[in-house]
Order: sequence, then C-alpha cells, then structure tokens
Amino acid sequence: MCGIAGIFSKEGGVAAEWKVQIQKMIAPLTHRGPDGWGIYCTDTITLGHARLSIIDLSGGAQPFITEDYVLSFNGEIYNYIELKDECIKKGAVFRTHSDTEVLLKTIEIFGVDGIKKFNGQYAFLLWNKKDKKLVTGRDRFGERPLYILELNNTVYFASEMKAFDTIPGFCREYDASNLLEHGLLWNTLQDQTVWKNIRSVEPGTFELFDYNQRTHKIVRYYSLGETLFSQKQPETFSDAQERLKLLLSESVRIRLRSDVPVGVYISGGIDSSVIAAITASIQHERFKTFSVTFSDQQYDESTYQNEMVALLSSQHASLSIDYDRVRDNYFEAVYHTERPLFRTAPVPLFLLSDLVRESTIKVVLTGEASDEILFGYDSFKELKLIKFWQKQPASVLRPLLIRKLYPHLGHYAESNQYGLMKTYYEDFLGMCDNEFASAAIRIANNGIIAHSLNKESGVSLNRERLLDRMRKMLPENYSHFSDLQKNQFTEMRTLLSGYLLSSQGDRMTMSHGVEGRYPFLDHTLIEEVFAWPDNYKLRGFEQKYALRKAYTGMIPDSIIQRPKLPYQAPDVKSFVRSEGVCTQAGEFLSERMIKEYGVFDSRFIERFMKKFSQGIKEQYGYRDNMLFAFILSAQMALYWAKNPKTVRLKDELKVVDISE
Amino acid sequence: MESTLQIQEQLLEFVCRNYMVERDDVIPDESLVDQGIIDSFGLVEISGYIQKEFGIVVVDSEMNRANFGSIVKISNFVEKKRNS
Repeated sequence: MCGIAGIFSKEGGVAAEWKVQIQKMIAPLTHRGPDGWGIYCTDTITLGHARLSIIDLSGGAQPFITEDYVLSFNGEIYNYIELKDECIKKGAVFRTHSDTEVLLKTIEIFGVDGIKKFNGQYAFLLWNKKDKKLVTGRDRFGERPLYILELNNTVYFASEMKAFDTIPGFCREYDASNLLEHGLLWNTLQDQTVWKNIRSVEPGTFELFDYNQRTHKIVRYYSLGETLFSQKQPETFSDAQERLKLLLSESVRIRLRSDVPVGVYISGGIDSSVIAAITASIQHERFKTFSVTFSDQQYDESTYQNEMVALLSSQHASLSIDYDRVRDNYFEAVYHTERPLFRTAPVPLFLLSDLVRESTIKVVLTGEASDEILFGYDSFKELKLIKFWQKQPASVLRPLLIRKLYPHLGHYAESNQYGLMKTYYEDFLGMCDNEFASAAIRIANNGIIAHSLNKESGVSLNRERLLDRMRKMLPENYSHFSDLQKNQFTEMRTLLSGYLLSSQGDRMTMSHGVEGRYPFLDHTLIEEVFAWPDNYKLRGFEQKYALRKAYTGMIPDSIIQRPKLPYQAPDVKSFVRSEGVCTQAGEFLSERMIKEYGVFDSRFIERFMKKFSQGIKEQYGYRDNMLFAFILSAQMALYWAKNPKTVRLKDELKVVDISE
Repeated sequence: MESTLQIQEQLLEFVCRNYMVERDDVIPDESLVDQGIIDSFGLVEISGYIQKEFGIVVVDSEMNRANFGSIVKISNFVEKKRNS
C-alpha cells in the first residue's frame, strides 16, 4: 500500500519545476508509504510514489518504468498470479515478481479494459510514453483513494488531498453545498468532495487524459449488480450457504497473498470472527490478531473477542480506549480523514494501526462490508418495516415491529414510547415512496446539519435536488433491483465508500503505514450474493441470515447469536466533563473560531454549546453525538487545510529518480 | 392557565433552545421531523417536556401524528389535555 501523486498538463510544463513540486506532494503522503519514495519527471507528466513494501520487497520500486509505460500504483491486485500466467501466455516477459508489473502488463496487453480483470483494491496513474496518454483508475468500491485538482491548466493527482496543500497559491476551502450533502448522506455524491475544485476518481471508473488529442474521458467499468440477470441462483438455501463459504474462503485465500505476515482485526462481531476463522483454516501458522477494548462497557466487546482468540490460539494484542484517548487523538485522526466525521469511532482504529505497526505487521484483514452485502444494517430492517407497513397503513399490528428495530436504544425498546416511535416512522410512509427510500430516513436524521451551517452560505435542505443528484448515479438496471438491493446500492455508494472505507478504513490504517484488506469486498462474491433472494440475507428481522447459518459450528454460538451492536466509540462523552467542554474542543467551537472560519451559524453553535456547559444531560440522543462530532471535526479539518503540516522526504529512502 | 398561543410560544422557545434553530426556521404547522429539526429521540424529548412543563400525562394511545405532527398540533393537544 502506498501514496501516489502526479502532475499533468495538456499544455506541458517545466520538468525542473514539476520535479520540485512532486517531491513536495509526496512528502505528506509518506505515512502511507514509509519504506521508500520515487519520482519520474518529464515536461508532459510527472509521477511520484511513496512505498509500503508488501509484495516483491526488492523488485517493486516505483514509479515502475518500462520502455513504453510508467506506473505509480497504490494497492494490491490479489489475482496477480493468475493474471501473470494469462499475460505470459500472450507473450509477456516479466522482470519482477510484483503485482505492479502485472497491472502494467495486463493493460498493455488487453488495453485499458483489462482493468476489469483485476480483483483487488487499487488506485493508479499509468502513463503511456509512446501515445502520451494517461490512465487513472480506481477499484470498484472505493477502497483506495485518488483525488484530482485542476488549477491553471494543470491537473494534479494525489492519494490524499493534503498533497495539494503544497501547491503554491492553493488553499483548500469548503464548498458549502457539498459540505451539506456530505452531512446529510455521510458522503458527497458522484465525483465531488467537500472541498472546492477537488474531485475524486469515482470508484469503478477510470479516466483517460490524452495529451495529443487534448481530450479527457471518464469511463465507468463497474457498477454494483451489473451481472444481476446472468448470475446463477442457488437451488436451495443450503446451496447458498455452501457457495458463501466457498466464495469467502477463496476471497480470504487470495487476500493472504503477501511477502510479509498478515494479521486480522477482531471486533467481537460475526464478520471479523468469520474472517479470522477462515484465515486459521487456510494459514496453519499462528498469526497475530488485534482488537480494541473500551473502558466504557457500553462499547466494549472484549468478552466476545476473547472467546474468538481462545478458539484461534492467535497471538493477540488489544488496545484499551478510554474517553481521554478519544479526546486527545481526534484532532490527529481528522488530519488524516480530511473531511468531517460523524462519530469518533475512527479514533480507536487510528490508535490500533499504530499498535499493529509497532508489532511489525503491515497487513490486516478486516470484516468491513458484510453489513452491506448481507443486509446487516438496521436501515434494511427499517426499510423492510416501512414497505410492509405501507401496504396496510391502517394496520395496528404492522408498526408494532418498530419495537424490534433498535433493541440497544432505550426509547425504541421501552413500550411507553412506542406511540412516539410510530409517529416518527409514519412520517416516512409517504417519503419512502421513491427509489431512495432508506436515504430519506438518513437525510431526516441528519437534517439538523442544514440548520447548523452559516446562513450566509445560502445552502438549505433541498430533498428534491438531492434526490435528483442521486438519480444521476443509478445504473440502467436499477429499476429491477428489489427495495433492499436498492438500499444496498445506496449504502455502498454513500456510507461505505465515503465513511467506512475512507475515514474509518484507508485513512486510519494508512496513518501508520498499515494496509487493510477486506475479504467481503471481493466483487465476484458481491455480485453473486447480490442476486440472491432477499430473504437469504434478511429473514424476518434476522440480519446476515446466510452468514449466521453458514458459519454455525465454526465460530462460537455466542457470537453467531448475539444481536448486532454497531461499532462505536464514546462521542460527546469524550469531550464533555462535569465542568463543561474540554479545552481543545472548546477552542475550536468558540465564538471566535466559529466566526473566523465562517462555516457554521454562530448562534446555533452558541445554543448547542450551552447544552454542555454543565456537563452532559442524563439523556441525549444520536443527534447530539453526531452534531458534536461533525461540527468539531469540520472545524478541525479546516484548520488542517489552513495550517498544513510540513513533512520532509528522507533522501536515503529515495529509490527511483528518473528524468526524461 | 396559558392560551394555545402561549403554549405554542413556549414550545417554540423550547424547540429553538434545544434544537438550536431560529424562530424563522420553524414552520409551526409542518412536521418537525420533515423540517430536519428533530429525530425520533426529539419526539421523546418533546413528550417529556410537555408533560413536565404543563403538568399533563401522555398515554400511549395519544402518541400519534394527530397530536405530535407539528408545533400547532402539539399545542392544541396540550390545551385539550389541560381542559379535559
């Protein structure tokens, strides 16, 4: 795993100047790739690379240069062994054992459509020297980042946006409209980011920049559910379970390909437990596992983690998190996420990757994305309930299911609040009558963010505009998706790629040079499971049904049967004590800084802060937690944009320096 | 005893203070959920507030849209309860 950067102009540039600039851009990316760095400079294109060595430790230096191509690549192509054979059969000759060279040769032989052959997580810049064409590609689900800034006829590329902060005359500023969109959906749609003029290469697309023709083209090469009609359905539920086991084992097997040892994160939930159990069945040597524990029992899952560790006999290390550690590390975590957060949950993962790195592990498997592909989120239950209720709005019995929605939230479980919860969901019976049913609830829950923004920004909650923008991202076969499949699509385009894989995934592991690998995100697995009947995944209100059944007996029953507990860390509680809001957060949320930065409405923030002036109320909800985390991190992210860190490259780690 | 308008004023004051919005942001006859001002927990907080502030008891069968669908509806409900 690595950091990449590039500079390209259809007008051409001055190679000597670009050589200086690309080094400045690579420097703040070296936490992603601490093992070495390299540059390739011309007056048409300049590429940079910071390397984390995982496969072919001695042969994989980058930018990787051949007679016709130059490649700067971040990620892994897990099926590189099979692809290498395929390329060799077509006459390719390899000089290294790296997946980097396989990526390059695959595209050289099969054209840019060869990207469809990759099973992996990747973002890359591939320059064709002969044709003067640049291809920028990104994996299907947005596991690895790639951003683009166009400024003064020059196009800049980077794994993280902080690299752009080194460009003279450029300073990141929020785009208020995009910031609100991010606030409502936990991600910006299409290729937008929360920052003005910075966009992202969308997951599942590649872009072509042609120097000679002066053209630029964006091509989508993958969309979730694209094989819906061609997938063979399992004949029985039992067959489905067997297929799931087979596909998941294969996915883990190729994700264990590495020239350095691979560890596993254990959360205590079913997903990471399944991944760990499969790892143990494939890899016979003892491996390392890692987990986070909490001093606050509300969040702690160590009982289940310990059960799993005992079963695996793994070499286990855990990190204990309390309120102070969350408070003290939020600022630094936001430096890496580069966008506002909604929870403090990334912080423990930020600290955990430090522990992993200290224990000399560079690669970890984790259980992300099972909730999306096997309908594990409560949003699937909410949607199912609303759709069921919509058919008989006058039914007395149907809304009673509301009580089962969020058993861990007191006001849902308490029977004396049932009427209010019913009133709340009744509002959605009308709003959920469109193709984004589940998004309506998330937008409503986060709607307060629209009121928190500076009135002068002129942005406000406009559902129709938002839905119109969402419609633009839909694939042609979307109308054939079931309601729950549509929800999966929305979840994967918003929450998964924008928050879980980025703020909580890539950025937290890479902050300490650790690579996360996600076996549930194997596209062959996802496409096959996507086509299955909904009730294989959500039976009644039983989430991830096929997974639970398939792995019964392989992992402890207590883990199989436990209700889903979302991974969370203490939010407001970390920053507010009996005497009020802690010093650093108080400063960022002070009237002075709120007015200086101009992002939020100062009267709104003043009222919000008053809620915490004497500590925390006995009862407070999702909204206060979310708002606190959001506003504080938005202020902090802007601070980092205005005050970038200075990072210097170490000359002794330079591995490539080519000018042509 | 407060009139419906006074109840409405008090409720608006509570909503503005507790949910940090300006008076002009609140449309009294529209759902507070639709307006993005409260979530499900907000309904619980408002129910708790009116019971404490106006000395009424809200029973399960009264927790519905007709009584909790907007500031106006909540105010009318409070007045009706106090007069009953």
